[in-house]
Amino acid sequence: MAFNYDQYLRLEKMPTLWCWGCGDGVILKAFIRAVDKLGISKDDMCVVSGIGCSGRFSSYVDFNTVHTTHGRTIAYATGIKLANPSKRVVCVAGDGDALAIGGNHTIHGCRRNIDITMIVIQNFIYGLTNSQTSPTTPQGMWTVTQKAGNIDPTFDGCELAIAAGASFVGRENVTAPKKLEKLITQAIEHRGFAYVEALSNCHINLGRKNKMVSAMENLDWIDSITVSKAKYDKMSEEEQLNLLPTGILKQNTEVREYCDMYDDIKAVHQGKRAKITQDDFVKKI
Amino acid sequence: MATREVISTGNELAAIAAVDAGCEFFGGYPLTPSSEVMHVISDLLPKVGGVAIQMEDEIAGICAVIGASMVGQRALTATSGPGISLKAENLGLAQMAEVPLVCVNVMRGGPSTGLPTRVSQGDVAQAKNPSHGDYKSITLCAGNLAECYTETVRAFNLADRFMQPVFVLLDETLGHMHGKADIPTAEEVKAGIVPRKRFDGPADEYFPYQAAQDEPAVLNPMYEGYRYHFTGLHHDKNGFPTEEIHTCKALIERLFNKVEAHEDELESYEEFMMDDAEVMIVAYGSVSLSAKEAIQHLRDEGIKAGLFRPITLWPSPVDAIRKWTSKIDKVLCVELNIGQYHDEIQRASGRLDIEELFKVNGRPISPYEIVNKVKEL
Amino acid sequence: MAAMVAPENTPVWVNTDRCKACDICVDACPAGVLSMMAEPTSTLGAMISVIAPEACIGCNECELTCPDFAIYVAEKKEFKFAKLTDASKARQEAIVNNKYRLPAGY
Repeated sequence: MAFNYDQYLRLEKMPTLWCWGCGDGVILKAFIRAVDKLGISKDDMCVVSGIGCSGRFSSYVDFNTVHTTHGRTIAYATGIKLANPSKRVVCVAGDGDALAIGGNHTIHGCRRNIDITMIVIQNFIYGLTNSQTSPTTPQGMWTVTQKAGNIDPTFDGCELAIAAGASFVGRENVTAPKKLEKLITQAIEHRGFAYVEALSNCHINLGRKNKMVSAMENLDWIDSITVSKAKYDKMSEEEQLNLLPTGILKQNTEVREYCDMYDDIKAVHQGKRAKITQDDFVKKI
Repeated sequence: MATREVISTGNELAAIAAVDAGCEFFGGYPLTPSSEVMHVISDLLPKVGGVAIQMEDEIAGICAVIGASMVGQRALTATSGPGISLKAENLGLAQMAEVPLVCVNVMRGGPSTGLPTRVSQGDVAQAKNPSHGDYKSITLCAGNLAECYTETVRAFNLADRFMQPVFVLLDETLGHMHGKADIPTAEEVKAGIVPRKRFDGPADEYFPYQAAQDEPAVLNPMYEGYRYHFTGLHHDKNGFPTEEIHTCKALIERLFNKVEAHEDELESYEEFMMDDAEVMIVAYGSVSLSAKEAIQHLRDEGIKAGLFRPITLWPSPVDAIRKWTSKIDKVLCVELNIGQYHDEIQRASGRLDIEELFKVNGRPISPYEIVNKVKEL
Repeated sequence: MAAMVAPENTPVWVNTDRCKACDICVDACPAGVLSMMAEPTSTLGAMISVIAPEACIGCNECELTCPDFAIYVAEKKEFKFAKLTDASKARQEAIVNNKYRLPAGY
């Protein structure tokens, strides 16, 4: 059972600079196991990370790696993917990177349905920069920018991804590493934009002043706010209010992927096919 | 050199030049008066197997371009002043990570929304330092229709040579000017492509950012077995983040030196009727067209005026500027901004008495305005 | 799968260069196999230790939940794992209740 992660790691960068017990390491391991399971060669994989603790993800893996500016992983990844659509591109960003400053790019990556896997490390806080409110920090929690108590409402990144057109959306916890590994595997395999939210524990920045000082307490809290989609769908709105569904939340294999559609544009300009018209699409608005 | 005669606009010529120079990727966003570059290239690129994508905003536009360039493609974006402002942070990443790209700026009235459909040269100072921190800008400026083509071609070769963004400044007048131009043939341009350097040894002997202090990084294309790291953080020879004091100092110095030590490869300017000139006019971009006509009129009236036209604006041609300003008393800087290159002429010449003719209301400077000003000197 | 060969006759082993003493594996183990021990030279003053390898049931929870590539579990064919006993469960409870350290004299 002992998995040899070392062959996928830049060993000279170990140990990671993440705090003791940080879920980022569990997500990194699940991702590596997924890549191994799919038999993807290290040369064929590009990992694009943003700014934050999750930003360091890309330095640790021995793939083609890019550490971008805050919020822009998907924009960079779009160029990387279009420049060579046959290769794999995986983005890793935190909840602030993906849903605050990067919100616009998240929306449009989903909308284009370009074949990129986006792993959002959801720890409900800005970790690296020390405890500022993120768009998903629960109301009433202590943050360093709202020490009187957070009043900012939250929203669900997975629902945003679904509404914006991502063809694969899922969520899992670091407390369920095998399920997370399976979800990431399915997301990478899926041809189209795959949005995966990985709930993680930041007991150092979120937990410390919010009664979850240890990693275990923070992990217990994540467990307490998640439930499988099957169970969630049967609940009342009241019961659903304080829970997040896990598992595959949406999967549509009928939607065309962006690079494939762009091949049609190339074909039009090269005289190989007629112009694209509304008749080529089922969805006309 | 083999040439062809075309009838086109500046914006269209920039797009054609990019494709002829081997550009395979365009990422951008509509912004007047540059949008036609995107419109034209969105038809030209897919025809030759490339990709042109209109992204969701200016920032995404430059990020996609940097991404494609990281993979190994020649990549272009086109915008105007407000777009450069938005792109600034990521232009900085391209400087820091030494990712080549060409950024066309078709200048319009600023600041802010300014005068979207009117001409200015108000982004010259910005082109020198669009982003925070220390780095050395390479900025070219087209002074006529043909240069909208040739300077874009040159920009691609310079970007690959120096491994950083290269700015090509047009202005609204040139971008939208429709006329005749004699430009090199596509074959000529293709034969002159000098691609970025690459390392062909074993992967474990490859250190992308281990370059001599006057040389750029050697960044192999992605996916070819040379796995390394791109980051905007200070980094070591592998591209991995570091804060080590000597590495950080050496990196910044190299980002400067790689350009400064080879300014001879970048320098480009025109000396029009300067040999016997008693009045030196400094002008660039579309203003230089008015200046040349003004000089004809002045000479007819016995005034020996000449034009010094920088084509590479940054780094500026300090030696040439000094050579002329040290022997000519009357030096007049004419520009469509409030003295952005005038400041540089004063700095380079060491003189504080450079004359000025500035216009900032979105209208071109006519030859007669220049004639009248020279007569006043 | 990229497998790592277990040391001979070893159900679970740790890499103390990488362990950050976060306690997660000790918490995750059902059988009281692991414990933190005082270690003055490490950042948190503690280090992981395999205190009861013979009790390991091979569930792999420790390897899966460790964020730092610091603990590994052998393959079923490499080691004959134990069954979960009441004694193991009791020891685990004692460890968890004593801040993830095996109580003195246990």
